[in-house]
Amino acid sequence: MGLGNKLKQSNYQIAIITVILIVVLGSWKPHVLVEGFQRACLYAVIALPMALILGIVGIINLAHGEYMMLGAYFAYSLNVYIGMDPLVAIAPALIAFFLIGMASYRAIIKYVLGTPELNQLLLTFGLAMVLEQMANLIWTSRPIKLPLQYVSASATIGSFTFGTYEFIYVGAAMVVLVGLQLFLKRTSMGQAALAVGQNPRGAKLVGIHVDRTYLFVFSLSIALIGALGAIFMTRHSIFPLVGAPFTMKSFCLIAMAGIGNLMGILWCSLILGLAENFVLSFRGYAGWADILFFALIVLVIMVRSHQREVK
Amino acid sequence: MKKSEPLLYLIVLAVLFTLPFYMGVYVLNVMGIILIYMALALSWDMLLRSGQISFGMAGFFGVGGYAAALLFLNTGVHPLVSIVLGGLFAGVLAWLIGSAVLQLRGMYFAIVTLALAEIFRVIVRNLPDLTGGPEGTILPQAIFAGNSTYTYWLVLGVAALSVAVSDIFRNTRIHFALTSIRNDEIVAKSSGIDVFKYLVFLFAVTSAIQGVAGGAYAHIYGFVSPEGSFSIDFTLLPIAMALLGGMHSTWGPVVGAVVLGVVSEFLKLQIPYGHLMVYGIIIVVAILFFPQGIVGTLGPRWKKTVSH
Repeated sequence: MGLGNKLKQSNYQIAIITVILIVVLGSWKPHVLVEGFQRACLYAVIALPMALILGIVGIINLAHGEYMMLGAYFAYSLNVYIGMDPLVAIAPALIAFFLIGMASYRAIIKYVLGTPELNQLLLTFGLAMVLEQMANLIWTSRPIKLPLQYVSASATIGSFTFGTYEFIYVGAAMVVLVGLQLFLKRTSMGQAALAVGQNPRGAKLVGIHVDRTYLFVFSLSIALIGALGAIFMTRHSIFPLVGAPFTMKSFCLIAMAGIGNLMGILWCSLILGLAENFVLSFRGYAGWADILFFALIVLVIMVRSHQREVK
Repeated sequence: MKKSEPLLYLIVLAVLFTLPFYMGVYVLNVMGIILIYMALALSWDMLLRSGQISFGMAGFFGVGGYAAALLFLNTGVHPLVSIVLGGLFAGVLAWLIGSAVLQLRGMYFAIVTLALAEIFRVIVRNLPDLTGGPEGTILPQAIFAGNSTYTYWLVLGVAALSVAVSDIFRNTRIHFALTSIRNDEIVAKSSGIDVFKYLVFLFAVTSAIQGVAGGAYAHIYGFVSPEGSFSIDFTLLPIAMALLGGMHSTWGPVVGAVVLGVVSEFLKLQIPYGHLMVYGIIIVVAILFFPQGIVGTLGPRWKKTVSH
């Protein structure tokens, strides 16, 4: 009860800050607003599966961005060898990465679930390195980009021109967010997952198959992030290290929103996306945009620990 | 076992010190790299003993390297002095960061440190007037004019320093404080241990060692760059070494560094573009199958055979 209220309250605060930012930005630099919004949705859709794993399976997956990178290379390979469009490749990517997620869970993740957090961090870090280097070995570190016509679609309002293709991230974020909410609230598997996330022992006592729930949630998250890799690679060039920063940014968003707060992630990614694009819009200072998330996460940690002390 | 340890250290140190007199330049160079990684692996393990995991070695390694190189270039101090000052700079920086983020521990701290190398790299790249920007900075001359014997002794000194600090931490009351923090923070707190103060101190000290190692590395190669100095290698290899050798001890990281250092020389020749994958596999396998490492698994058996 108390926790729910607090979460709602913090969502409310974050929402107000975001709305103020949007109004100020929209009147001053409209392209920052549009591109920041698109970027924010990309961040949100990457962070959501990670939040799901952290909230329910209870481990922090440092190889999260690497799965997205693999998904991107998967779509690239399908395009090169059988000429499949990356956006069509979303469907096979979903299936393939669900299986990859299952294999990862069964082969390694399962064995560190009950162990100290330290082991989980080290294991997933090691896994991230393996995946990164595997990609390096197979596809080399050369950045790859497919020449796709439709990604450069744009629209013009008055004297203001902006890319419209990137709104695909907005769509993806909405689909994933709404889909996950429906899954968690309306399906029995989702209800079981929520119960396991709250109390694995209790869930086991009432007859929920905990291990199977973990397996499903982990595989589902990996499937989502792998499929997102296919969307990601249509617009961005890909290389083995492309996923790593997203792992950290996703964690930053989850820490800001609070673990288990899926809706909050959307608001927090709006703050990060808009702020980054705001910095990017200043010529000569664009390079500094990449440290914003770090400043945010340090700020969040300081505020959180302060709150804890006050209590 | 305990009594013979100082003697053992002296013998090993003497052997290593006289190595330049009967070994070629290639062996010295390989040993030099191994000793640098050994210092990093030890400093990582020292923080791990408190239950906190840092992925920030590459960050402080690079910061120490940049600080040493820039101090040397801009103020003209002796390279050795600049290395020490570079380490101090890394330590102070870690103290500041630690004071802010060690309030929330565990994964929050781990991920903040994971981002550090990237953050420092961005900062360095965006201050071209000071740091040379994306191209980095070349020093006019490598330390000791590139004399391989002296540079070897320099890194031997860095490694010996980290072994000494690691042993001091293990054999004084700090060890009990750190172990109790790792086992149960609340119990540690109620026994009167200032957990936060200890962790910040430890983070600063270990980062200073990483900074010194980075400074030595920068002066030996006479070159600092955003990609080279903050390379993920300096995070990945020490972790793999410490895990392979065995966590929570002085000997573990030392043994791991020697074994993996020799193996990595071989691997670099065999698979030049993917040899880092092996270290990732070592980390995964070590966590899953032998979390005690070589020393933790074989050590007790060896002790038994010795005492028989």
